Amino acid sequence: MLNNYNGMAQPLWQNGPAPGEFYNFTGGQTVQKLPRELTTAGPYGTKRSTAAITTGSSVLGIRYDGGVMLAADTLVSYGSLARYQNIDRVFKINKNILLGGSGDFADIQSIMRNIDQKMIEDQCYDDNIEMKPKSLASWMTRVLYNRRSRMNPLYIDVVVGGVEQNGTPYLANVDLRGRAYEDFVVATGFARHLAVPLVRENKPKDKEFTAEEASQLIRKCMEVLYYRDTRNSSTYTVGVCTPNGCGVEGPYQVNENWTFAATIKGY
Amino acid sequence: MFRNQYDSDVTVWSPQGRLHQVEYAMEAVKLGTATVGLKNRDTAVLVALCKPASELSASQRKIIPIDDHLGISIAGITADARVLSKYLRAECLNYKHSYDFTYPVTRLITNLGNKMQTTTQRYDRRPYGVGLLVAGYDEKGPHIYQVTPSATFFNCKANSIGSRSQSARTYLDRNLNSFLDCSKDDIICHGINAILGTLPTDEHQSRDTPSQYSITVAIVGKNQPFKILSEEENAKYLEWAKARGAPADPRRPGDDDDDDNRPSTSDDPDAGPRDPQVAVATEER
Amino acid sequence: MSTIGTGYDLSASQFSPDGRVFQIDYASKAVEKSGTVVGIRGKDAVVLAVEKVITSKLYEPDAGGRIFTIEKNIGMAVAGLAADGNYVADIARQEAANFRQQFQHGIPLKHLCERVSAYVHAYTLYSAVRPFGLSIIFASWDEVEGPQLYKIEPSGSFFGYYACASGKAKPQAKTEMEKLKTDMKTEDLVKSAGEIIYKVHDELKDKDFRFEMGIVGKCTDGVHLINPTELTEKARSAGEAANKEDDSDNETH
Repeated sequence: MLNNYNGMAQPLWQNGPAPGEFYNFTGGQTVQKLPRELTTAGPYGTKRSTAAITTGSSVLGIRYDGGVMLAADTLVSYGSLARYQNIDRVFKINKNILLGGSGDFADIQSIMRNIDQKMIEDQCYDDNIEMKPKSLASWMTRVLYNRRSRMNPLYIDVVVGGVEQNGTPYLANVDLRGRAYEDFVVATGFARHLAVPLVRENKPKDKEFTAEEASQLIRKCMEVLYYRDTRNSSTYTVGVCTPNGCGVEGPYQVNENWTFAATIKGY
Repeated sequence: MFRNQYDSDVTVWSPQGRLHQVEYAMEAVKLGTATVGLKNRDTAVLVALCKPASELSASQRKIIPIDDHLGISIAGITADARVLSKYLRAECLNYKHSYDFTYPVTRLITNLGNKMQTTTQRYDRRPYGVGLLVAGYDEKGPHIYQVTPSATFFNCKANSIGSRSQSARTYLDRNLNSFLDCSKDDIICHGINAILGTLPTDEHQSRDTPSQYSITVAIVGKNQPFKILSEEENAKYLEWAKARGAPADPRRPGDDDDDDNRPSTSDDPDAGPRDPQVAVATEER
Repeated sequence: MSTIGTGYDLSASQFSPDGRVFQIDYASKAVEKSGTVVGIRGKDAVVLAVEKVITSKLYEPDAGGRIFTIEKNIGMAVAGLAADGNYVADIARQEAANFRQQFQHGIPLKHLCERVSAYVHAYTLYSAVRPFGLSIIFASWDEVEGPQLYKIEPSGSFFGYYACASGKAKPQAKTEMEKLKTDMKTEDLVKSAGEIIYKVHDELKDKDFRFEMGIVGKCTDGVHLINPTELTEKARSAGEAANKEDDSDNETH
């Protein structure tokens, strides 16, 4: 019943099989009509957005023995311009879910509004049932895959981290096509190339990271990212989620040391 | 003609602030055979009494599975129940598709109630003439919900609806405190004993498996997806239940056969037309 | 009610010769049969309290709740038809969600009341529907507007209040509330709510009842809470104490 507030929201599943349809004379679901501009091409065809505009760069998530850690720098760029330098990109969703967003920041804000409304809905039901990280990740895949199927994707790449009801940590990545996977380390953007191998190298066999190890790795990775990714800034925030709750800490500062710069020649 | 001028349709309030059409729909629930729902700490049980419509037909299904974690038992107009169960199934499936998780029972029932409410307020609809007992299991444990044609729903420790269900409720009421901690087998036996009390007197006194009636049992709980028990299991539990104890005295003086909690009306049956005396409260609480 | 039976009272879209819409009056009768509900505004909190009459031992204690959370900081309590109450709660939540979607801000209570009352009012205009058998009390608190309390009637009209009541014992509750001060501290506020509900409960008519409350204010960080353990206990014990006092009074006289 709820959730009808968004006129633009499209049903997640349409034109699929509808098992056991009955005759429905009144009060039935009327076929939802989309606004004309979304369904009909203009005189010169239609063009959907094909790239992100204001962007956030990498997000890195690490699972450890007592929870998960998510980190992202605080920069939102406009092209190569470091446009907004003090924006949190790691969000607390509820007391057991964190979300880190990269890609088009407007799309991130939009999806966050939807998620926040879901949290208020949870609160309204007053039944002590809260969204689980796995549920949120699943919902994200449905929304994102749906949008890509309509040729109108949200340009985002998110990391969902949290702690399940039974206390086990959960960490997953969902991208703009609705692809999703879980792992002990997930990352978006440049961190996927720069940070993931670094974290994997340090993973002890048959053992999870400790909180200390995870935190050290995040510090190291954010430093590497700052040096090597031109869309990164030196400040970052870290979200930590444990069975006792979660929160976003920071902003922290990367250890900068540019003394080696003088030795680089030939550019 | 009408019993009074305020009961013609569902959009008319009576001067006493009652909705007669809704109350009449509540009466439809009492036309169906009885069904019982009850729960212990981690299992919810539904027991239903089935009776074939004619000697040649099989009996109607009284218990309808909805999802792995949820099922309903019905009393009243079966066709209406099919519409509601279709809705419930679609909702559960959608929720699972979106969230990869079972639909919390409370929320499902709240939404069902809101769907049903619209039929109690519009000229072109009639209320659903069916009562539901919902048994479900979610992260908050087992649940029994009662849903009425007036679109009200109650979270129950145990309950019974349908014809002569008052005696089952009496049984449940008396044994209420033992339910929470008893075993799965015990809770099923309690359910069967409760429903045996709703058999018509002659059927009941024979004490054997009633020829015409049969019992259906369904359970759902921790590590137990919703399941309707097989004939053999039913027979086994029926035997156990009978061994464990007689059902509570089903008939108390003053109880009428079919309209259980209706206050006795005028003594003189020929007193002419009277205002309807339906005691089903219009949910004043 | 001499008009009963004259036929002018069968539809919400029909006036009687003396200018009344009887269907609305009749809907109000459903409210008057409901368990009492009160709302009281204090200095920096608002409390909602209901007398939930228990009709069966078979129900769980939380069955048939009549207090709802509409927004983070908005509570709603109803007297009247339970099913209508659940439904309107859903409508109110949609209104609040819609406002937030558009303005990135929680809905101001007055605005919510305008929206919901317009909805309730629409059901008094057509013969194809019936009016809601509901009296709806809204409560909210925020840093800017402070505590707020509104009530919507089945007719769709609404007013702001210092304190208001609906249901069975509305007159008695009103008498009690007139004795209250207008800017009580939270603790006194909660206690008075308990005292009033316990006092106006009629033991002869309805044996058993459950006291339920909702509160929103500075003390709850502007979040509407339903039956918060500590405060509810305070209200209940204050109510029970007041009841005992009442009884002993009766004995001496």
